[in-house]
Amino acid sequence: MSALRILQLFPELTNVNGDAENALVLARRLQWAGIDAEVVPLAAGDPVPTAAPAAVFLGSGTDSSLVRTLAALDGIRGALSEWLAADIPLLAVGTGLELLGRRIDLPEGPLEGLGMVPGEASFLPARVAGDLVVDSVWGRLLGYENHGRGFALDSGVTPLGRVAAGTGNGDGADGVALGSLYGTHLHGPVLARNPAMAMAFVAAAAPGTGVDAYARGRADGVADAINAATLRRLQL
Amino acid sequence: MNKVAPGFLGSVLSHFPEGLVVVSGSSGKSTTTKMLVTILEAHGKRIFTNPSTANISQGLTSALLERASLTGRIDADLAVLEMDEGHGALLSPQFQARMVVLTNVMTDQIDRFHDTRKVLAMLDTIASRASERLVLNGDDALLDSLAADVNDAVARFGVSSEVFAALPRGLGYAATTDARDTAGTLVTGVAGRSATIRWDGADHEVTLPARGVHYAVDAAAAIAAARELLGTSFDPAVAVAAVSAMPAVFGRGEVVTVRGKQVEFVLVQNPASFQLNVDELEEGLDQVLVAMGSDVADPSYFWPVDASRIGRARIVSGSKANELALQLIYQGVQVDDIEPNLPAALDRFLALPEPASGIKTIVFTADSMRRTRTHLGLAE
Repeated sequence: MSALRILQLFPELTNVNGDAENALVLARRLQWAGIDAEVVPLAAGDPVPTAAPAAVFLGSGTDSSLVRTLAALDGIRGALSEWLAADIPLLAVGTGLELLGRRIDLPEGPLEGLGMVPGEASFLPARVAGDLVVDSVWGRLLGYENHGRGFALDSGVTPLGRVAAGTGNGDGADGVALGSLYGTHLHGPVLARNPAMAMAFVAAAAPGTGVDAYARGRADGVADAINAATLRRLQL
Repeated sequence: MNKVAPGFLGSVLSHFPEGLVVVSGSSGKSTTTKMLVTILEAHGKRIFTNPSTANISQGLTSALLERASLTGRIDADLAVLEMDEGHGALLSPQFQARMVVLTNVMTDQIDRFHDTRKVLAMLDTIASRASERLVLNGDDALLDSLAADVNDAVARFGVSSEVFAALPRGLGYAATTDARDTAGTLVTGVAGRSATIRWDGADHEVTLPARGVHYAVDAAAAIAAARELLGTSFDPAVAVAAVSAMPAVFGRGEVVTVRGKQVEFVLVQNPASFQLNVDELEEGLDQVLVAMGSDVADPSYFWPVDASRIGRARIVSGSKANELALQLIYQGVQVDDIEPNLPAALDRFLALPEPASGIKTIVFTADSMRRTRTHLGLAE
């Protein structure tokens, strides 16, 4: 079997907070489980890879790069829809999630998104930067957030989880869970910080391979230590 | 203190007979400031400058108060001040500078500045206070965009296309210009602590206070500024000798003997400098300690740095030890031990027998550097 391809979308535009490195985390966990896997970066404007990826990661960028990232996403719109229809897991973080939505508020006027996620990004009363804790189907997820807009989902659309600390979407929920598409404001290496979520992505990326997706490694003990300290600090 | 003496800062800053020079940017501003002061002093100028720990308004006011006479004057020909980009922008309505020197724009302190465009806007505000000359990094595309407003009043520094081509990951700026400059003050060669810097068609050999291309660029910035400030009295030989005589900088590749062991200290200030410094580490180092302190609020933005070249870290330490260790483990670095308590980690690391290969190497952020110095009794 050839190596599983973990696709990193436009890392030159979407790795400001280290979100694109979730692709490395997934590839590494697959390797630790004995599965051949590689990170495949796709630069903005490059042709869509012919072989379907095992998972797709879209990170967050600066506001000044939103238009370029949107154009790059528009160029692979068809492939994205096919991959999602095939249940290939996709994680979109921060502005990555916003660009998949319908509309993004910007000081110079709204920007139309891809419209794949039924929701809109509007200004929060003030920019937020700090810890974000989300109670999700994978348990309590911890990480950082740093954004100036919230994200309002249409009614009936399931968020990733409820916010236990921090801001997230701005209405008590964070992100979105839509088939195999997951969105969040938890930036940086959210899969590394949250082993249960990483395990779910391993299981989804390597179906039928017999991989033990739920095996814990040394990195998970380190993540647990970081998260325990964060929860103590937040008195949760 | 600023409330006690409103307007004090601006009034003192505006009264140096040969004017005020402000140095700002994401990184390299304190080295550039020190180099420029050294060159100007070697030319006989009396300079007022601020220690890099006092580059925000409060520290700046204290530094000025210490030196100012009762009439609010400081006895110096010229002031060369390093300013933090955020505080410099806030202070800028209070001063008029003769020259502004801008080093670069890097992704740094994301939780404070959010976006490099905001940093650029702050630097633009500072640059607007330059009455005579704006000296800027011609390789930095964001800074270069500021030049359009001032045209003739710009002097540039940077690296040659040969130097640039030899850098596998570029210069680490948020955006780099499409082509290298050929005029201006240019770094045309770097090898360890030796650099060749070209201006007016002649190459000059300079010894740097620390190895690495970014120190060579700092030297080019200082020389470019000094050339403009001194005009016909600028003496290339005096400038080169002054920079070359600067002592090695602690934490910038200097080797220090501690408890009978030779140790190299490497300071990383932001993701770009982490990458540059890791890339310059000898491969296969046997004993490395890496420490990240509370100065890094959110270590996740360090993840784009590929630290795999470290290979093996004997101890990962500092208040962000676990966060850093998590990154290193996923990047394939062998992490032997995680000890958030830095003094305990330093004691264990120094007690290890002499390394099988290379030198004991400690890579740390600024906060961990301060704690290390205190614990090991190393002078400021």
